[in-house]
Amino acid sequence: MGKTVTLLLSTSPYTFENTLSAVRIADSALSKGHAVNIIASADGVYCFLKKQKAKGITNAEEEFTRLMQKGLKVFL
Amino acid sequence: MLVIIKSAPDTQEGRRGVKLARAMSADIVLMQNGVYFIQGQALEDLGFAGPAYVLEDDRRLRGIKADDTAKYIKDISYDRLIDIMAESDKVMGMF
Amino acid sequence: MGKIAMILRKPPYGDINAAEAVRHTLGAVSGDMEALLILVDGGVLLARKGQDDTATGFTNLEATLKDCKEMGAEIFADNLSVIEYGLRKEDMVEGVAVANESDIAAMLKQADTTMIF
Repeated sequence: MGKTVTLLLSTSPYTFENTLSAVRIADSALSKGHAVNIIASADGVYCFLKKQKAKGITNAEEEFTRLMQKGLKVFL
Repeated sequence: MLVIIKSAPDTQEGRRGVKLARAMSADIVLMQNGVYFIQGQALEDLGFAGPAYVLEDDRRLRGIKADDTAKYIKDISYDRLIDIMAESDKVMGMF
Repeated sequence: MGKIAMILRKPPYGDINAAEAVRHTLGAVSGDMEALLILVDGGVLLARKGQDDTATGFTNLEATLKDCKEMGAEIFADNLSVIEYGLRKEDMVEGVAVANESDIAAMLKQADTTMIF
């Protein structure tokens, strides 16, 4: 039976590796049929701004948009 | 019980995570800079003797080889991490 | 143009400091400055060979470090930090020189500007 994974993301998108870790964990958990929530707190909310242009590093907008289409629920 | 550690061995956060896991007899997962704990005796120095898992992608990214790793430390994928988290009654972290 | 010293104190990938240090080192040499990249504390781990970025989406910082060297930056690793972090000579990217504390102090005295990451 699927479980629920809830991640707290509180850091800005491009200063720490946390963005990548959150994306990889959420992606795997969703693929395995678990429910996944991300609670964005403090600077974590910047991960969900539109028109991000990051290259050479996990693009938070692109990845989280893809995961939301896969079922990720995000709470700011 | 599972404790996830993302901070390096030279940080208070990383060491606190390992000591807490030891005190609670929890398994640990090492990711991000936490993967440096698999080098030398970093875990043993804090009294931790396993089991421990290390995220393979994060280890490879830093150029760390699995060859010298103690037997109780296992390489895992993100998919395996999710299974381990789902099997655990409690997941704490990330330190 | 002047001489700039970049000091990197943090290991790569966990945060953006290592990427920024090499980026600004490349920027400095591209702008005809004399650039020194000095690795201390966890920063020496940037010099570890065999970094594999497959499927991570990260820029490979070992490759970028080599680019810095090829473009003319001088790269040094603090000897005590190298020992503390368990790096052996054979673990390290070629072209990274190990320097002691007094060497590094002399380099920093000569530099016009210092940036710390």
